[in-house]
Amino acid sequence: MIAIEFRLNGGARRIDAPAHWTVLDLLRDGLGLTGTKDGCGEGVCGACTVLLDGEPVRACLVLAARLSGRSVLTIEGVGADAPDPLQDAFATLGAAQCGFCTPGMILAARALLSVNPAPTEHDVREALAGNLCRCTGYVKIVEAALAAAQHVTPCASPRSS
Amino acid sequence: MRLPPFELIQPETVAEAVIALANGDGEARVIGGGTALVPMLRLGLLRPERVISLHRIARLGAISADDTGLHLGATVSIAALHRSPVARSRWPLVAEAAGRVATPAIRSTATVGGNLGYAEPASDLAPALLCLEADVELAGQDGRRSVPVTRFFTGFYETALGPGEIVTGVRLPAPPPGARSGYVKFCPRSAEDKPLIGVAALVDVDPANGRCRVARIGLGAAAPMAFRATRAEAVLRGEVLDDRVIRAAADAAAAEADPVSDLMGSAEYRRQMVRVWVRRLLTRLRDEPLRCAESARDERLDEGLQTRP
Repeated sequence: MIAIEFRLNGGARRIDAPAHWTVLDLLRDGLGLTGTKDGCGEGVCGACTVLLDGEPVRACLVLAARLSGRSVLTIEGVGADAPDPLQDAFATLGAAQCGFCTPGMILAARALLSVNPAPTEHDVREALAGNLCRCTGYVKIVEAALAAAQHVTPCASPRSS
Repeated sequence: MRLPPFELIQPETVAEAVIALANGDGEARVIGGGTALVPMLRLGLLRPERVISLHRIARLGAISADDTGLHLGATVSIAALHRSPVARSRWPLVAEAAGRVATPAIRSTATVGGNLGYAEPASDLAPALLCLEADVELAGQDGRRSVPVTRFFTGFYETALGPGEIVTGVRLPAPPPGARSGYVKFCPRSAEDKPLIGVAALVDVDPANGRCRVARIGLGAAAPMAFRATRAEAVLRGEVLDDRVIRAAADAAAAEADPVSDLMGSAEYRRQMVRVWVRRLLTRLRDEPLRCAESARDERLDEGLQTRP
């Protein structure tokens, strides 16, 4: 077991986890946070995207031990008090169908907006290229991210290096 | 699905990492970001008893530059390389290629050292490093050594890394002043895919007579390993880069490619795409001496990052 101290959705956490656990194992099975989805397990589908120190990562590829001293944002930490502009836009514009890809989409879009608050459609498509939607809802997803950008003020999320 | 259990070792110095690897008796694996190793563990392709993570070795995470070159530590992420101001201004080829690797969530995690050690034949970074004549720095029980990247890739997912050796970094000498460079990645399926063909090129044209003084072409996914298309380079050297010369170089590159057939395309198709993309890139470098449109757009994004608190 490895002792891991990190920040999760704004609060300090300390947890012991097996060395071979990934961040996805830790979130879903260790902490019961099932908003982060377990899709392909190979870093391809994007359903497990979370933000680590403000940058998008695949929770299924990162060892849980790598969280030590760092800050994680999962979908549970987005819009906890009032819906985030991205959540509002996704709901209003019908950008979610089955919803499985939605947490990853929201976090990948949030990562984009934090560094590029006025993205072009091309920027959005590139930022979301690694997030697959099998209901084929990309048009509305891209529209929602662009609509949310109009309401987002750039947040000063920390970024490594 | 869980990974098979292993012991995780997190050394704080290169010396400790080398000892841990030697103590592993061949049953230990080094992990950088994990984007290559973790899927291999999950698929059961590798079953190491120990995994040695390099991320606590602080100096391996640094990017530094001086008059002699750019140094990238092994655990520098592909994203950090892509947005590094010094890399963008003085080694734009490697920063551009880094920005074409997979997706944002992979670039944030994958590392320069991991990219080299994995030796993916379709790596985006390798053709750029080949053109920039980088040296790969290794550490092992017998000490440290440096291998030119042109000799680092030795075969299909094979490298010059000896048993017990770790990639600790890569050093890029300053490119010829005034050289133009670029990277193109042809993806027939989707943009975040590995390239069917990746081409990096660096050319330096003598302004006095318009003749090509330096020509370097690195090819990815065109053979079992990334390589320098030296015969195509020889066609360009000393010549004015007119359409005839560029076509001859593209033909030479296609001839020296040794492509494989896979789900993305047949060997014959790959060879033809080498011809097409070498020609297009060289034409672009000839006609667009300053920078391509994409680099200009990335520059704008980079400026956004620089102004952040």
